[in-house]
Parts: sequence; structure tokens; C-alpha cells
Amino acid sequence: MLLFRSEEHVERSGKPKGALMTPEQMWRLADIWYHDRDDPSWRRRSAEEAEEVFAEIGLTGEFWSLTG
Amino acid sequence: MSNLLVRVRIAVLERTIASGQVPTAGEIAADLDLPLVMVQETYARLGESHVFVCEPGDPSRLRMANPFSAVPTAFKVSARGGLYYGNCVWDSLGIISLLGGDGTVETPCPDCSEPLSLRVTGGKLVESDCVVHFSVPARHWWDDIVFT
Repeated sequence: MLLFRSEEHVERSGKPKGALMTPEQMWRLADIWYHDRDDPSWRRRSAEEAEEVFAEIGLTGEFWSLTG
Repeated sequence: MSNLLVRVRIAVLERTIASGQVPTAGEIAADLDLPLVMVQETYARLGESHVFVCEPGDPSRLRMANPFSAVPTAFKVSARGGLYYGNCVWDSLGIISLLGGDGTVETPCPDCSEPLSLRVTGGKLVESDCVVHFSVPARHWWDDIVFT
């Protein structure tokens, strides 16, 4: 997961097409994912739970599927 | 997660947050007064369960204590007065979240090498017109997590 200056720079870099998201979406995902990582009761999300988090910030479709 | 897994996992994160360095199994064994081999086995179990990522060929080292990287990367994070390396932009912002929601990620654009930064203040991201790119579909992230 890399940060680029713009979509044009992604294309110029020759990276596989993949998927794009905004920094705001990335922050929301990172915040949900990691804010409680130092809580002893933390446990790893199931694939279904991870998909729910992705959907919550607008990441849906085959690229974000873990169970399909 | 067993009590030992939790103790080691939390000790690794606390030591990393305090020092900026992901600890070796020896350091955690000393901190928790445990046999070295027991901590090495716990590192392996945390790797197998995709909580952390082990350093290949060295049972005493982690490559990633997610969201922290044990080795220098292109993602420099400053938060809560400390300096850290993230594994990617996701984990780098994750470090800022874990440390309270104030901090900065600095990384060069992989195309043009221009220095880019993302700043979070008070739990909110300062607006940025950069873009985040994922090369690998979600179901394949752990096929080769270092590449991902």
C-alpha cells in the first residue's frame, strides 16, 4: 500500500492496476484497524468482519473480497 | 488468544512504542522473565496467526510487529514524540492511530520521489490530494506480506 502524488503518478510508475483510495479512506481504515491494537482483549478480525470494515468505508467489490 | 500470546504481543508493542525498535525474543524473555525458547515459539505462533511477521531464518526476530516495521522502510512516522517505521501507508497511519491520533507520515512518491506527507491532528486527517494505491487484492495480501 503506497502513497502517490496523484493517479497520474500511479499510472506512470507501471504498478499493477490494483485499486485506489483517498488518504481519508486510508486513515479511516487504519484508525478502525489499529486504534485498539495494544488492548489485551484485541483479537484478529475474521474475513467476514474485515469485509464489513472495508464496506463501511466504501471498499466493496472483488478486489476487497476475502470470502467470495 | 492464550495468556502467553497476549503477554508477549503486548510486551512487544509496548517496547516498540517506548524505544522505536521492535524487540528481539531475548529482550522480551528478559522483560517477562521467560525462557528464550518459549518467547521464540510464541513469536512463531504470532507469525503463523498473521498477528506479526517473523524474520525468515531467525527465530529471535520479527520483521513486522504490525503496525510497526522492525527494519527501516520508506515510511517514516513521527507520533507522540517518537520516530518509527511503518510497513506501508496503512500501517503508518495505524501507528498514529495507536499512539493517540496525532502524527505525521513521510514517504517519497514511488514514481517521482517527491517527498509526500500525511498529517493527522486530533484524530482527523489534514486534507491531502495524494492517492493510496493497493497492488494486491485483499485475498492475496498474506501470500507475500512483505511485497504487499
